[in-house]
Amino acid sequence: MAQAGFCYVSGAPVLEAQRLTKVYPMGQEQVRALDRVDFTALQGDFAVINGPSGSGKTTLLNLLALIDRPSEGEVLFEGQPTSRLSEGELALIRRAKIGLVFQTFNLIPVLSAAENVEYPLLLTKTPRRERKERVAAILAEVGLAGFERRRPDELSGGQRQRVALARALVTQPRAVLADEPTANLDSATGKQIMELLQGLNRDHCVTFLVVTHDPAVIPYAQRVLTIRDGRLQGEERRGEPGTP
Amino acid sequence: MANLALRNLARNRRRTLLSVGIVALGCALSLVVLGFVERSRSLIQETTVLQFGNLQIADPDLLDGKAEGFGYLISPSTRERVEGLVRAEAGVKGTTVQLSLSGLLAVRRTTAVVRAVGVVPENGVLDYNDLVVEGRGLRPGDVGAVLVGQTLAEELGLRVGDFVNLTATTVAGAFNVSPLEVVGLFRFSSAEVERSQVFVPLEFAQLLLATDGVDRIVVRLDRLARTWSAARAIGRRLASAGIPLAVRTWDVLSPFYRGLSGFFDLLFGFLIAAVFVLVFFVVLQILTLSFLERTREIGTIRALGTRRREVFRLFLQEGFWLGTIGGAVGALAGIALALLFNAAGIPWQPPGTVQPVTLGVDFTGAVVLVPLVVSVLSTLLSAILPAYQATRVSVVDALRAV
Repeated sequence: MAQAGFCYVSGAPVLEAQRLTKVYPMGQEQVRALDRVDFTALQGDFAVINGPSGSGKTTLLNLLALIDRPSEGEVLFEGQPTSRLSEGELALIRRAKIGLVFQTFNLIPVLSAAENVEYPLLLTKTPRRERKERVAAILAEVGLAGFERRRPDELSGGQRQRVALARALVTQPRAVLADEPTANLDSATGKQIMELLQGLNRDHCVTFLVVTHDPAVIPYAQRVLTIRDGRLQGEERRGEPGTP
Repeated sequence: MANLALRNLARNRRRTLLSVGIVALGCALSLVVLGFVERSRSLIQETTVLQFGNLQIADPDLLDGKAEGFGYLISPSTRERVEGLVRAEAGVKGTTVQLSLSGLLAVRRTTAVVRAVGVVPENGVLDYNDLVVEGRGLRPGDVGAVLVGQTLAEELGLRVGDFVNLTATTVAGAFNVSPLEVVGLFRFSSAEVERSQVFVPLEFAQLLLATDGVDRIVVRLDRLARTWSAARAIGRRLASAGIPLAVRTWDVLSPFYRGLSGFFDLLFGFLIAAVFVLVFFVVLQILTLSFLERTREIGTIRALGTRRREVFRLFLQEGFWLGTIGGAVGALAGIALALLFNAAGIPWQPPGTVQPVTLGVDFTGAVVLVPLVVSVLSTLLSAILPAYQATRVSVVDALRAV
């Protein structure tokens, strides 16, 4: 798939949102956080969903990550509808096929960097030897060779986000969903992380979906979708990934 | 997951040490008290067997207190057959016989209804003389001698060397009376026995009743634990030989032991329940706090694909490790405390005995295992509620938790 440093998109849909709606009860009122959103992420896409705070981008990401259920509409993962799947079945999809990156890194503080990255492989019952090899390789790829034994509190913000990226990629997922991955980083570190994300997208041909309100992230995207008041306002296709 | 559970326990060391300490304290204290109760129980068992033998063989109506007349008497020929059958059983140390009668003990102008137990002096099976606290015991060759309980002696104003008359009805229905010298005073495990029972030589009892029969055959075994299997085996032998006698074990024969054993069981149960409740609530509080502090982390691992039952298992494992580590530390501390207690050698005189015994703590399997198992079970149970809470929390809500 990866040729000459680019991922050539195959066109196969990985994640699809069909008239996705999420309504939250708030006292007597019903707040519509997402309103009939249609969206398809193809294999190898690097898409950014951009919008101000409260626009519904994190809600959309949670639904696409299969950690929340829509009020109406459907999320299809690799063409398979997910609304009728049980919690356990959704967890099995998440552990094997979806990588998640959080704004606050969300590493397990009692585990070392390598153990944090290894955790999803324990869930998928990957053999020990293969686990160790994959953890070492992905940590090296995100530039953390030599940091395996460090606990999260012994790492900088950028290093923690690199560990989180390695954890998201170690299972070789079909999609990586990142929620404001640069929000807790300074601009220089944020730039490094976005370059890393872009490189990983190219090298692994994994679909990347990033929600952010940080304009500095947009230049890295292949597709930029804008969301406002729970509705997708439009999409800008930027062709192949470029550098800012 | 086991690794993660242990790491989670290590994250708040002070709190984990506190909970391990409480589990260990409960486990250690219950081990020592249970061991002490077990030692006391076994001392009383030994004392009871010295008084009753391991087994008694007699007419079932006599053993059940329903006998009328003298139909329950065992003739010399039957006695010989029974003793032959009993001796063929493994572990039998020896046998002796008794003949009890109801009579009127008269001294000066005072009388008392007594149960006179005719025994074979120095029979090598039961040592009645061990009960004597004043005077001497019965000796071979004694005929007109009697051991009187201390309580009865006080009530009748009897002293060693006094003479009394014992009146009873012979097997033929005639009155018979004979003088006896009080050679000793005894203490017994029950004040009621001290007040209403006297020991006389078997030969005297047979002369007074005008019979050559006995009413029971007492069996001593080499080991206490053999009692119940030997009772069943001897019962089968008697039934096969067509001898209509029943076998009773010492624990059934001694009302004092039955009462005390019941009290010990109650104490045992109460203590275990107290430890269980203490450990349950302490660990419940600790794991609930741990759950509240780690809500976001639970959200993260659930988002990464950890299933609810795996999260549930993680919390149970934390409870299990708390119980196991606390229980193991407690068991070791309890054993150390018990060894110190045993080394102190504190003397105690069980009720109804003359010889003092040394108090101590017995390390039976149950004494060590029961507190340990209770510690683990109670921590496991107390982990269920926080574990359940951890599985029910919504992933999105958990990820938003501060």
